[in-house]
Amino acid sequence: MTRIRLTSVLLRTWMALTSVFSFLIGWAMLAHAPKPTQASAAAQSAARPLPTLAPLAPLDLSGNANGAASSFTHLDIQQPQGMFGGAPIFTTGGS
Amino acid sequence: MMRVLDFAAMNTAVILAAEARTGVDDALAAARSFIEGAERRFSRFLPESELSALNASAGDWQDISKDLLEILLACAAFHGETDGLFDPAILPALKNAGYDKSMVEIRATGVSPRSGVPQPPRSRFGEIKIDSTRQRVRLAPGMQIDLGGIAKGWIVERAARLLAEWSMPCAVSAGGDMVFRGYPTDGRAWRVNIEDPLDPERAILGLRLGPCAVATSSVTKRTWVQAGHLRHHLIDPRTGEPAAGNGLSVTVVADSLVTAEVYAKALLIGGQQEYSGRASQRPDLSYYVVCSDGRITTGPAEIEQLPSLDPIHFEYAAPHV
Repeated sequence: MTRIRLTSVLLRTWMALTSVFSFLIGWAMLAHAPKPTQASAAAQSAARPLPTLAPLAPLDLSGNANGAASSFTHLDIQQPQGMFGGAPIFTTGGS
Repeated sequence: MMRVLDFAAMNTAVILAAEARTGVDDALAAARSFIEGAERRFSRFLPESELSALNASAGDWQDISKDLLEILLACAAFHGETDGLFDPAILPALKNAGYDKSMVEIRATGVSPRSGVPQPPRSRFGEIKIDSTRQRVRLAPGMQIDLGGIAKGWIVERAARLLAEWSMPCAVSAGGDMVFRGYPTDGRAWRVNIEDPLDPERAILGLRLGPCAVATSSVTKRTWVQAGHLRHHLIDPRTGEPAAGNGLSVTVVADSLVTAEVYAKALLIGGQQEYSGRASQRPDLSYYVVCSDGRITTGPAEIEQLPSLDPIHFEYAAPHV
């Protein structure tokens, strides 16, 4: 019976000390950790808010300006009159 | 940087371009002079041309120049190779369809009415007799030939050869039928846009090409109205009437402009059956067909590339790059 009491006291004591030491270790770690107010200048500049994006253009599903169905997509390339890298751009279409 | 000279000849716009170096202006002038001189020899619209003299001699032997002999031999070879789809002897049918004078004259004075007289059976080009040794030919009685595109191709090729002797790289284009020699100065590729046959102000396809030749045949370019019907200049030798296939234009890229000219015409006249059959057996040429329903068919070299590309979207490299 005496042995059981002794074991109980030792166990309670060990648990109390362990709790106290764990609390103190946690306190010390938090005390030395960098705080949000101590962030670097670079981190602060990176955290600047993004500008508001311009609104998107409305989506046109009609295929062309007047809404008529188009049999195939035309590419809006102007008739080549200029040069490309010092050489003229040619057009072929029959004659 | 390239020097560019453009002028009108062969009823179309001609562009000469050559690398700017000493003597290039003389080369451009010489090439222009050659083109204008050759046009006077091979035009069916000029009564004093060598071709007109040949047509007037049908039924008799006629001495011809070495150059005309070369063109006629090429015509004979392509006539056989295309099983008659390429046939320069369609001139009577072309005249009957209203194209009996130049497009400039037709636009100025109007088209001639269609003859009500039944046309006699038309001679086929295969009936021509060519004596290469004695440099003379004999057209069958009643035969008349129009060298049209093949003569233009021969002239442009010769002009490009002449220009290349003086200055490389260089290019010659006559109404969109063109020859490129060498690569452009920047080391990249020649850029060629294919017109929308229904809206020439817009391009529907762009090509980047190396040294090669490009020709396009179109049923929407040389057109006129005869007796209320829209007619064009590409006669189907099988019917004697303007071709009625589903192709609006065919562009062919080949090593030779004469080859490109002939195949562009044959594919447009022959239609789907031709470009899925005969042309697919010619890996040395590429073709781009704009159909009347808006589809663009290409082949044969690009066929394997197509699944990853939208063929309507601008710019991909042809195999000649």
